[in-house]
Amino acid sequence: MGNVPTKAEQNDPSWRNNNPNSNEAKRTRNRRAVSLVSGAFRGNNGSSQSNVGSHRRRTTKEREQDKEERAKQLVVKYNENVDGGFLAPFGVYGFDKLDYDAKIVKTLIKERKLAPFYTPLQDFDESWTKEEIIKIVDGLPLHSSYEENLEEFDDVPVGNINRRNFDDLIDRTLSKKDQRRQRSQIFRARLYKKRILWQEKEDELFLEKKLASRNPANEPDKFLPSDDLKYDLYKHGSECPICFLYLPGPMNYSVCCQQPICTECFVQIRRAEAHFPHEEIDPTTHAPREEEKDPNLLTSEPASCPYCAIPDFSISYIPPTSRRTGFGGIPSGMFTIKLEPEADTPEEMTPRSRSKSLEGASIITSDTIRPDWELKLNKERARLVRRSTNATAIHISNRLVNSAHMTRRESTQDNHSSNSSRHTPEPTADEIENVMMEEAIRLSLEDSPGDKRQKKRSQTMV
Amino acid sequence: MASLPKRIIKETERLISDPVPGITAEPHEDNLRYFNVTVEGPAGSPYENGIFQLELYLPDDYPMEAPKVRFLTKIYHPNIDRLGRICLDVLKTNWSPALQIRTVLLSVQALLASPNPNDPLANDVAEEWIQNEAGAKATAREWTQKYAKKVEN
Repeated sequence: MGNVPTKAEQNDPSWRNNNPNSNEAKRTRNRRAVSLVSGAFRGNNGSSQSNVGSHRRRTTKEREQDKEERAKQLVVKYNENVDGGFLAPFGVYGFDKLDYDAKIVKTLIKERKLAPFYTPLQDFDESWTKEEIIKIVDGLPLHSSYEENLEEFDDVPVGNINRRNFDDLIDRTLSKKDQRRQRSQIFRARLYKKRILWQEKEDELFLEKKLASRNPANEPDKFLPSDDLKYDLYKHGSECPICFLYLPGPMNYSVCCQQPICTECFVQIRRAEAHFPHEEIDPTTHAPREEEKDPNLLTSEPASCPYCAIPDFSISYIPPTSRRTGFGGIPSGMFTIKLEPEADTPEEMTPRSRSKSLEGASIITSDTIRPDWELKLNKERARLVRRSTNATAIHISNRLVNSAHMTRRESTQDNHSSNSSRHTPEPTADEIENVMMEEAIRLSLEDSPGDKRQKKRSQTMV
Repeated sequence: MASLPKRIIKETERLISDPVPGITAEPHEDNLRYFNVTVEGPAGSPYENGIFQLELYLPDDYPMEAPKVRFLTKIYHPNIDRLGRICLDVLKTNWSPALQIRTVLLSVQALLASPNPNDPLANDVAEEWIQNEAGAKATAREWTQKYAKKVEN
């Protein structure tokens, strides 16, 4: 039930090649064949732990602070603009869905390798005059409106948002596990509220600046777009085929099939969650259960093109020739339309001329803006390796008890003093294996499923 | 209530202004993310002359997440189970945000025209389909007659 026919995977055996860890995965499996325990250990230790290690040791508060810093990066600032667009998203999609690396995206936009985030219009009418367009654009906020109160956070206390410490909101009578759960919920509710406040603050500032600029006595604000810029931006816009919103051009284009996509939709395209490869199932037999599968087989393919389904979705962007404002250009307020406005619209490029001018353009993928994708996959693998190590260790422990008896008996026969083996300067491979096995069992006993704190401790020990 | 994304509004408008032959999709008045759907059985298939009722729900993350589609009419098909759940790649891993309600329902209709017993959801139906295709198709026709008969309004 509920199996998923991924036709592409079934027909295309190359999915393994897309997985940069496939060789490593095979190697780990071979090692495992030689020694179950040490193989499982290395799987836990080597392939994932080294990457994850530095993150594990951070405290909850440090991680919360990081998340907050990241969220701050996603607020649109009116004075940070590129060619009439911005460095952060308007908010077509929810907060939770913005998981890209904001610093990388900002840099790409400033370097004009990725279209900026434009403020979308819900609709556009060809018959609008220049004056009408300017009036509409003047009324646009920096952010879409968010629901003030989410149902999800209805009963979650947030306390005073301006105070950093919210330890007092946590119910100390709860179990450690529930306290952690509560803490994370309170943190998320507070962050949601904070994000709305940060956005409102920027929107208010934007409005104030716009109002002030109407007063001829004031110095014009060079960050605010000139009327010519507003008109030039929106007169030549188009509808993004994914969000159906009307946006200034030029958009990003898929490299494979030359279809447009706005940056706000592009940053939503990501790898699928880590999963086991889909296998053709014979309806008469039972599929193996998830926990019986080798964690190293866990895979995640790069995103495919939403338009033509070709794997390794990538886009490229040709910046507009008619305007270069904001970062690396003239101030937005100084932009004037020089030529006949209809003359050089990049939107009118044919696919051929576009692909020609793309030569040398940077190619951006959803992995480019999420360099941590591999870390996440490895984390997930490590989680499964831990789980299967536990199972393996418990399974072996019975056999270990027997073989340990055997070894002791043998050693007393070989050596007259039972202490002599302890003085052996170099432990043999078998002894190391035994020590590791014992360690595996100890860890597995300690690492009861579901208890994250203990899991964390056992990892730092390994 | 969160405001409805422009995309959903425009898709709904376009479904009404430019309907797909053999398919209807109408949003509920009290929940514009929930659609009542009918799909006509494709000609030449065992589902011919049947009108199948489905429900379609657009989750919060639509269009980044696929719509949820389920048959309400009983149907004998190897990729549709007793609860009406559909095993269709575009509803799962091959979903793309460039697809729409319209294209998804066309895929569902195409699935009726070409069942895939090698990737089954209803194992018993799939087995029957592989072992005795003629018999399975006869059952499918029978069920269509029984449960999905066109009702003249």
